[in-house]
Amino acid sequence: MILEAKGIKKSYGKRVNRTEVLKGIDLSIEQGEFVSIMGASGSGKTTLLNVLSSIDRVTSGHIFIEGQDITALKDKKLAEFRKNDLGFMFQEYNLLNTLTVKENILLPLSIRSMKKAEVEKQFKVVAEELEIYDLKGKYPSEISGGQQQRTSAARAYIHQPKIIFADEPTGALDSKAASNLLRKLQQLNDKSNSTIMMVTHDATAASYSGRVIFLKDGLIYSTLRKGDRSQEEYYKEIMNTQSVLGGVGVES
Amino acid sequence: MSLNSVILKNFFKNLKNYTLYIFALVFSVALYFSFVLMSQDDGVAEELTSSELMSTGFIVGSVLLIVIIATFVMFANSIFLKRRNRELALFQLIGMTREKIFRMLIVENAVIYFGSLIIGIALGFLVYRMLLMVLLRLMQIDLSVGMTFSIEAVIQTALLFIFIFALLLAQNYIFLKKTSLIKMLKLEQSSEASYRGMGAVTVLFGTLGLVMIISGYWLSASMMNFTNALIFLMFGVLFLTIAGTYITFKFSVAFLLNMLRKSKNGHVNVNDVLSLTSIMFKMKSNAFLLTLISVVSAISMGLMSLSYISYYSVEDTIEASVPNDYTFYEEEDMEYYSDLLNENDIEHETVNIPTVSYDVEGDAIAIDAEAPGGFDTALALSMVSEEHVDGFEVEGDEIIITGVPYFLDSYIEFKLNETITLISDDYERDVELVSMGENAILSSFVTYGSPQAIVSNEVYEELEENHNYDEEMNQPREGFAIDITGEDSESIYQLMNEDNYSQFESKINQYNMQMQGTGLVMFIVGFVGFAFLLTSGCILYFKQIGESEDEKGSYNILRKLGFTENEILKGLTIKMVVTFGIPLLIGLLHTYFAVNAGGFLFGNEIWTPMLTVMGVYITLYSIFALISLMYYKKVVKRSI
Ligand SMILES: Nc1ncnc2c1ncn2[C@@H]1O[C@H](COP(=O)(O)OP(=O)(O)OP(=O)(O)O)[C@@H](O)[C@H]1O
Ligand SMILES: [Mg+2]
Repeated sequence: MILEAKGIKKSYGKRVNRTEVLKGIDLSIEQGEFVSIMGASGSGKTTLLNVLSSIDRVTSGHIFIEGQDITALKDKKLAEFRKNDLGFMFQEYNLLNTLTVKENILLPLSIRSMKKAEVEKQFKVVAEELEIYDLKGKYPSEISGGQQQRTSAARAYIHQPKIIFADEPTGALDSKAASNLLRKLQQLNDKSNSTIMMVTHDATAASYSGRVIFLKDGLIYSTLRKGDRSQEEYYKEIMNTQSVLGGVGVES
Repeated sequence: MSLNSVILKNFFKNLKNYTLYIFALVFSVALYFSFVLMSQDDGVAEELTSSELMSTGFIVGSVLLIVIIATFVMFANSIFLKRRNRELALFQLIGMTREKIFRMLIVENAVIYFGSLIIGIALGFLVYRMLLMVLLRLMQIDLSVGMTFSIEAVIQTALLFIFIFALLLAQNYIFLKKTSLIKMLKLEQSSEASYRGMGAVTVLFGTLGLVMIISGYWLSASMMNFTNALIFLMFGVLFLTIAGTYITFKFSVAFLLNMLRKSKNGHVNVNDVLSLTSIMFKMKSNAFLLTLISVVSAISMGLMSLSYISYYSVEDTIEASVPNDYTFYEEEDMEYYSDLLNENDIEHETVNIPTVSYDVEGDAIAIDAEAPGGFDTALALSMVSEEHVDGFEVEGDEIIITGVPYFLDSYIEFKLNETITLISDDYERDVELVSMGENAILSSFVTYGSPQAIVSNEVYEELEENHNYDEEMNQPREGFAIDITGEDSESIYQLMNEDNYSQFESKINQYNMQMQGTGLVMFIVGFVGFAFLLTSGCILYFKQIGESEDEKGSYNILRKLGFTENEILKGLTIKMVVTFGIPLLIGLLHTYFAVNAGGFLFGNEIWTPMLTVMGVYITLYSIFALISLMYYKKVVKRSI
C-alpha cells in the first residue's frame, strides 16, 4: 500500500461561515494503481487531491504515504517530501511562462545531484515518449494547450516520483488530444509501474484508469473497478453511476 | 446592477491598486510645489547678494524637475494601465465601447488626480519649510524661516499638473486605441526573450557595448592630454558612454545572460528560474529603462559630486588663496582703513610684504609638458623674505614653496631636497627646496597667480638687488593687508564697506559670496538629483511590483512542487541584486570617471564629496531593493 487515508475531514472558513468540504474520507491506493476521482463541480475533488498531496492540510484525519504519517510533518519537511517523492499536474497554470519547455520539465531534477548526461538521457526518453522533444526550446505561450499538458506530464514524470497527482489534466483539451494524453499516461503507468491519482469530470478520461472513486457531498459515494472488462463496458458503467449521481458529467 | 454601479464597485475594489499611483502623484506634486514656494520666498531673495543667480538656478532646476515628474507620472500610469489590462479587456468583452471606457478612465483619473493634487500641495507646504531651513543652513545665512503661502505658487503647480493630466489622457487614449482585445487579454504572457537566434550580430554588438564604455572611460581619464580638442572630446566621451550603456543593456547583458543560460542547457535550478530567466523574460523593455536610469543617475550623481566638491572646497580654496582678512591695492588705502579700525576700537595688524618675481627651473620642478593649460612659459615664483612671514623656517640657501593653486597641482610636481634655479635675465641663483607649505601668503593680484616662495633674508636681499627691474611687471611689488586680531566678522566688513573710501578685497566677503553661490547650486542640484533618485527608485520598485504580480502563478507552481518560501526568496534576492545593482554599478562607474576627469576644476577635495554622494545613492538604492524584496516576500507567502 503506497497511500492510505483515514477519516479525512477538511473545512474552510472560520466559525460563522464554516463549510465542511470533506466529511470523513477513507481510502487506500496500491503501488502501481491508476485511480480516478469523479464528482460534481464543487464536490471537493481538488480539495481531496490537495490534502492527499500535502499541498493543503487536513482539518482532521491521517494520511500515510509508504507508512509515514504526513499529516504530522512540518511545512518544510512536507515541501521536501513533495519535491522528492511526488509529481504534479494542475488544473490551471501548469507551467512557468519564463521557462522553455525543457527547462520546465527539468525543474524537479534541479534539486538532485545527477550527472548532466544522465539527466539528458532521461529527458530525452520522457519527452520523446510524450512527443514534445522537438518543442524543447519553445516557451509555453508558443505551444498549444495539449502540448502544454504533455509538458506538465513530462515534468511530473521526470524524477520518477512515488505518486503522480493530476487535477483534470484533460480539462482544457478536445477529446482527441485528451485521449492522446491519457493513453500516454496509461502507457507510462504500465511501463514504469508508477502510481497515478487523477481528478476528472470526464467519463472517457476516467475509463483509462483502473479504479474510479465517486465523491458526493464530501463523502465517497461509490467505487468502480475496471477489472477484466473492456474499456467500452467500463465507460458505460461510469456513465451510469454518474447519471445516478445527478448527471453532472454531462452538464459541465 | 447597472453598468455605472459596476464601475463604481470596481473602482473601490481597485483602490489598493491605485495606492501606488496616488503615492507617485502626491509625491511629485509635493516636490514641485515646495520647490516653487522656495523659489518665490522673499526672505531668501533679500538676504542673498545675488538674487539673479537664485532665480536662474531655480528656473533651471524647475525645468529639470518638470521633465522628471512628467516622465515619472506617465511611467507610473503606464504600469498602472498594464495592470488593469485584463479588467479593461473584460469591460470591452461585455460590450462597453472604447469611448465609454475612455470616459470612465477620465472620471477615475480626474478624481484621483485632483485629490492627489490637493494632498500634495498641503504636503509640499510642510516640506517647503523644512527644505528652506536646509537651504539657509547650506548658504550659511541666519534667518528665521517664515511661512509664506503663495497663491501664485499654487496656481503654477496646478497649471503644470493640469498639463500633465492632459498628457495622461493622451496616453490612456493611445493605449486603448492601439491595443486590440486579444492583445489586452494576453499581454503579460508573451516572452520578450527572443534572442534564440544568437547570431554573430548579437555577439558583435555585445562586445561593442562594453568596448565603447571602456574606451569612453579611457578617453575621459586621458582627456587632459589633448587640450586643443577638449570640447570635442567631451562630447565623444558622452556619446561613447551613453550609447555604450544602451548597447550594453540591450545586447551585452542579454548576451551574457544568454550565454549563461545556454551553458546550462535547460538544467536550471530554482535560483536561475527566479533571477536569470525572469530578468531575461522582460529584457527588451528593461533595456531602455535601465539605460535611462543608469545614465541619468550617473549625470545626477556626477553633478551632485561636482557641486558638492566646489561647496566643500570653498573654505580650503579661500584659505589657500587669500592670506589676509583684508587686502588693499595701495599702501595709502591700507593706512586709511587701519585708522578707521582704530577709531572703532578694533584691534588689528597691518601686513606689508615686499616681493620680487623670479622665473624658476631645476630638478625640483617637474612640469608635465603633455598636460593641459599649454604651459609653455616658465614657472614663476613670487619670492618673499622669511622676516615678513610667520610660521616658516628657512636658513642659508633653503627655499619653501607655498600657495600653489590647485589647478597647477595636476601638472607640476615639486620634488623635495632638489635644486631650484632662480632666474632673472642673466642672473641665476641656486637654492634647495626643503619643504612645501599649504596656504598662500600673498594675494593673487600681487602674485598674478604664481606660487610663493620663502627664502632667508640674506638670499632675499641678494635677489632684490639682482632683479631685472621691469617697468611693465611693476617690480618689485608689495602686498598691503590687514589682519583682524581674533575673528573677523560681517559687521567689521560692513563698517569698512560702507565707508566707501576705496576698493579692497575682503576674505570674509569672498567666503560668504562663494558659500552662497555654491550652496545654492548644491541645493538645487541636490534637490533635483534627489528627486530623480527617488523617482527612479520608485520606478524600479513599481516595476518589481508589476513583475511580482505577473509571476504570482510561478510562485504558486514552485511552492506546490515543493520549493520552500526561503528557496524562492533566495532566487528573488539575486534578482533584486541584479536589477538594482547593475544600473547602480554602471551609474557609479560613470560618475567616478566623470568626477575624476573634471573634478579638479571644481576644487581640491574630491574624494569626500564624491564618496558621500555615492554613499547616499547606494544606501537609497539598497533601501528600494529591500522594500521590493519585502513586497516579493508578501506575494510569495500568499501564493499558495
Ligand atoms: N480556499 C477555499 N476557501 C473556502 N472554500 C473553498 C476553498 N477552496 C474550495 N472551497 C470550497 O470547497 C468546495 C470544494 O471545492 P473543490 O475545489 O475541491 O471542488 P472540485 O470538486 O475540485 O470542483 P471542480 O470540479 O469545479 O474543480 C467548493 O464548494 C468550494 O467553494
Ligand atoms: Mg477542481
